[in-house]
Amino acid sequence: MTIDDFRTNRGAASLDVRRNAAATAERSAFAAPVVPLRQVLPTYPDQPPSPERLRQIDRAFFGPFFREKYGAGGDKALQNHRIRYYGQVQPSNNAGELAGRRYVHEFDTMTGLTRGWHETLDRTGNVRLVRPERDDGIKRNYQFDDDGRYKRSW
Amino acid sequence: MELDLQAVRRVFEDVLNGCMSRERADRWAHAVVQEEETGIVTYSPPRARERIWAGVMYLYGIDATTAPGVYLHTDGDIRKGMTVCIGEVGDDGVGDDAAGYRATAAMGHRK
Repeated sequence: MTIDDFRTNRGAASLDVRRNAAATAERSAFAAPVVPLRQVLPTYPDQPPSPERLRQIDRAFFGPFFREKYGAGGDKALQNHRIRYYGQVQPSNNAGELAGRRYVHEFDTMTGLTRGWHETLDRTGNVRLVRPERDDGIKRNYQFDDDGRYKRSW
Repeated sequence: MELDLQAVRRVFEDVLNGCMSRERADRWAHAVVQEEETGIVTYSPPRARERIWAGVMYLYGIDATTAPGVYLHTDGDIRKGMTVCIGEVGDDGVGDDAAGYRATAAMGHRK
């Protein structure tokens, strides 16, 4: 199907609507039942893409800039126009329930700003420690229990 | 800034030998990451770029702790991490298939 086919179909559809409207007007003179028009999902090219589609576009467009550097462990487009890139988990074999750490890099597609942090995961994949990378170089760790509740910091 | 595998390996070894603290190694890697963001890091040889970067990203955060004064990683973890990221001694700059595999695993989707 070409774009012209699409336009032709749209024209035909709108013509049908006009015909139906005229017919309905004629019938209404005889108190015919009014049938509501079916809701049509937006398909017009001038309508904005869905948030999900936008996230897909963001991931595809910005991927080459960050994925190879920070996204070896995957990436995820968030609903707030940010994309998170996950580094590989660097395993730890002697830390009990903790499996290892990874670096996370977050890119805001609206502002162009980035931020990053280190996080330590347990063996079930929960984030148990977060260490933001601050501009002043001060390192502070925030610890959470396995339910995600904040425990302490140092 | 020019960076080669030997420089990264030296930082790993200095940490393992106790000649460099993990905190300093982390800051060294952080500085590299910052410079990489501005696009002024060159990798020598260029084909070792992925391995070098994997090593830098291991060192970045190498001082992670599980409690005040308790490191997450043992020396054994770090030694293994060094091997996985940048390869064995003698691999430097050779660009063999095994190193290529390690680099691909570490860097993901490089085109």
